[in-house]
Amino acid sequence: MDLTPRSTPEPRSTSRRLLPILVAVLATVSGLVIVVMFLTSSIDYYCNVDEVGVRDGCDDTRRVRVQGSVDEGSLQMRAGNTSFVMSFNGVSLPVDYEGEPGGVFQECIPVVAHGRIVDGVLMATRIEVKHSNEYEAENADRLEEAEKSACS
Amino acid sequence: MKTGTTTTRVLGIFALMITAWVVVSAFFLTPADVVQGDSVRIMYAHVPTAWIAYLAFVTTAVASGLSLARKHRTLGFDRVAGASAEVGVLFMAMTLITGSLWGRLTWGTFWQWDPRLTTTLFLFVTYVGYLAIRRVDVDPVRRARRSSVIALLAVLEIPLVHFSVVLWRSLHQEASVLNTDGDVRLDDLMLFTLFSGVVAFTLIFVWLVVHRQRLAAMSDVERLVGLDVAITARRAESTVGGGGR
Repeated sequence: MDLTPRSTPEPRSTSRRLLPILVAVLATVSGLVIVVMFLTSSIDYYCNVDEVGVRDGCDDTRRVRVQGSVDEGSLQMRAGNTSFVMSFNGVSLPVDYEGEPGGVFQECIPVVAHGRIVDGVLMATRIEVKHSNEYEAENADRLEEAEKSACS
Repeated sequence: MKTGTTTTRVLGIFALMITAWVVVSAFFLTPADVVQGDSVRIMYAHVPTAWIAYLAFVTTAVASGLSLARKHRTLGFDRVAGASAEVGVLFMAMTLITGSLWGRLTWGTFWQWDPRLTTTLFLFVTYVGYLAIRRVDVDPVRRARRSSVIALLAVLEIPLVHFSVVLWRSLHQEASVLNTDGDVRLDDLMLFTLFSGVVAFTLIFVWLVVHRQRLAAMSDVERLVGLDVAITARRAESTVGGGGR
């Protein structure tokens, strides 16, 4: 019986062979970029307000990311400008931001402000809201309760 | 040839039913969050997809370990490892997309290079690389050996991702359920819907992996039995030819 193959199987085309290699190289490069981005933007994402000018890497002479809670009654929004005072561990820092912060920004919520400190005021270029890991139903009783205990 | 059986069909129907319940509960029954409002509903997709991606990558590592340890059944475990990694990458992509949308609504930004987001993206890219490496080698035994080693190393990233919010200061909130102090910080129906989402996505994960690994098995079998088929075909031809003489 003749078992010679009638036709040799078609070899994988060059593009099909190269594609996985290309994706693997791309994944490696992406991984390196991610690590570099992570390390250059500092491992701890932010400094707390009470660490500014105290902790290493939280110098008030360079661009910083600072976390604190928005003080109750300090929030002012005028002509597209937002100003408020944020505090952490009893230390406060005034913040000035051109624009309206997005997300669920409000008083008494923890925020991370990015910017430079000029004359004791953090001139923010970005505000991010850092919400807690608690999830509660929105209803009238809870809202009243939340308002009473806000910033306490 | 089909990849489905009665068991997988039942599994698929259960997965669909629970998914339907999760959709109804997430959109119409669960309350809005006191701070986040309706955006909290993204949680019912975001958290389960992340957990199932972890599960998928752990499954890949376990199957890879078995593949390396039990040399006579290498390809079966390797196929499960590959199938699970593919589904895991799909779920991890969904985690990143839903997380990005949720971040825009609550934090005010789609992306930041913070520890949780960065380590999650790194985990995703690692497994994309793993899948690419699997396709480089045409020899299935060599492919199984190489990819098993990668899978066993890659799975070590998962604790780093999960505990990144505890190890470093992160914009991402700490875990509400699987946290270090054991407290669950969700309302009852929210927690039940989240749990239902985990069950639904787990069933979908199992369903997809079973079908995908069976498909891979068929592909391998097709290659291996190709010669047998050719021999049978030739025998049949020669019988027909001999009968004619």
